[in-house]
Amino acid sequence: MSPSAPLLPKEDTREAALFFVVCALCFLASFAGLVARSAYAAADTWADQVTGEITIRVRGDEAAAVRAREIANASPGIDTARLISRSEAEALLAPWLGSSGLPEDIPIPFLIAASATRDAPAVADIIDRRLKEEGLDAIVDEHSVWSSDLRQSTNAAGLAALGAVGLLIATAVAVIAFATHAALLARRDIVEVLHLTGARDGFISSLFEQRFLMLGVRAGATGALLALATAAFMLFLVKQSQDQVWLLPQLSLSLTDGLILGVTPLLAGFAAMISARVTVMQSLSEMV
Amino acid sequence: MKERNISPDTPTLRFDRVSVSYGPGLDVLADASFELRPGSMTFLTGPSGAGKSTLLKLAYLALRPSQGRVSLFGIDTARQSRAERALTRRKLGVVFQEFRLLEHLTAFENAALPLRVAGDKEKRYRNDVRELLEWVGLGDRMNARPATLSGGEKQRVAIARAVVMKPDLIIADEPTGNVDTEMADRLMRLFRELNRRVNTTVLIATHDMELIRRTPADVLRIANGLLSRQGQESGR
Repeated sequence: MSPSAPLLPKEDTREAALFFVVCALCFLASFAGLVARSAYAAADTWADQVTGEITIRVRGDEAAAVRAREIANASPGIDTARLISRSEAEALLAPWLGSSGLPEDIPIPFLIAASATRDAPAVADIIDRRLKEEGLDAIVDEHSVWSSDLRQSTNAAGLAALGAVGLLIATAVAVIAFATHAALLARRDIVEVLHLTGARDGFISSLFEQRFLMLGVRAGATGALLALATAAFMLFLVKQSQDQVWLLPQLSLSLTDGLILGVTPLLAGFAAMISARVTVMQSLSEMV
Repeated sequence: MKERNISPDTPTLRFDRVSVSYGPGLDVLADASFELRPGSMTFLTGPSGAGKSTLLKLAYLALRPSQGRVSLFGIDTARQSRAERALTRRKLGVVFQEFRLLEHLTAFENAALPLRVAGDKEKRYRNDVRELLEWVGLGDRMNARPATLSGGEKQRVAIARAVVMKPDLIIADEPTGNVDTEMADRLMRLFRELNRRVNTTVLIATHDMELIRRTPADVLRIANGLLSRQGQESGR
């Protein structure tokens, strides 16, 4: 005679439907988590790239520009300061003015790109004061307004993404709980028979907890892997079609990404298990 | 013989002014008092809807009384914790009218269910369960699932499940309703044998007056929710 079958029947269509629901919700939650994490990382990258960058616009002749560069280079906290050539300036303006070159009569100010060390205090103010002391007509721009706006925007976007992820997770947990409850109601006959044959509440509950824990973990893992595949595919497509991909969130499979993907199945399994326990205990509490 | 630590004077089942009501004027059982002595065999009879199933549900702890007290093995079940009631249920063998077999389990697995629930290992009980199923005429149907069994076969699996633990109290709701006279007598002999050899108390609800006449046992009659005890019917 073959070994005894499990006390719970094999999964049926109700549990297959629950698997699909959990899988879909975990896909959405982990995909949103990956996107939010990537958006945060990209925002940090953008902000890092402009922090410490100073641009000096000099009006006048080339000698004035060279002098301004010397002053900048000599200022405390400046790593490097270099004069941007006309060809570089034309390349920067190409997206707006075309790449066929600028007419000679269009005046292009001399630009100096300087990099300051991160902890240099008010270095832009120091350069600005020294340039004025030398009588040079120049504007020092440390991009603080732009980078501040960027940081605010990315922080807001990041918070919105986190909020969306939080909402998705809460919805996923609620739907998993509801679907588990519905799937379990159909098993009430088994709960009753086990109860009336002398099974303790904990014994009956543990049967369902194990079943739904595994179901949640499997569905969550499937959803998380699908999210990873989708994110990778989307970024692959973006990289194929865009030049400035550095502006887009990057998929790097960092520790945080791994954490998001790893936590999703556990969370789904835990939600299903707790929901199973609550439902079975609720059913049992209605029995003597 | 199974060890028992219940005093021979302690009633196996005792109803103390038990009533069940589903609302004003909806009394299913009114002020019922009786007791079953250890080792007694009792039929519960009465017309359909008289309250037999309700009384049995109270006895096998599937229903709480609206009033009164149900005691099993000398203990007021209302005072027991859920875990204690689970242990009390293991001393009961119940044959449900609608069988309540688990559809995904074989006849063997259904019959062995109380043993699994109690934590016994299959290798310890395998032969006992086989013998029991052979005894009830299902030796060649052990691996069949309930969906492929006839009503009578299901009933015999349900009976095997009820007696497999050699319970202190067997409660059976129409246990011979779906079997022929020969099998009914055979099943009654099984109950009788458990009753005599293991001192199991037996309570059987039945409509079958002929069965009651053929079997020596006490008789409880219930009508309109009111219970009355009759003397021992004369048996064969």
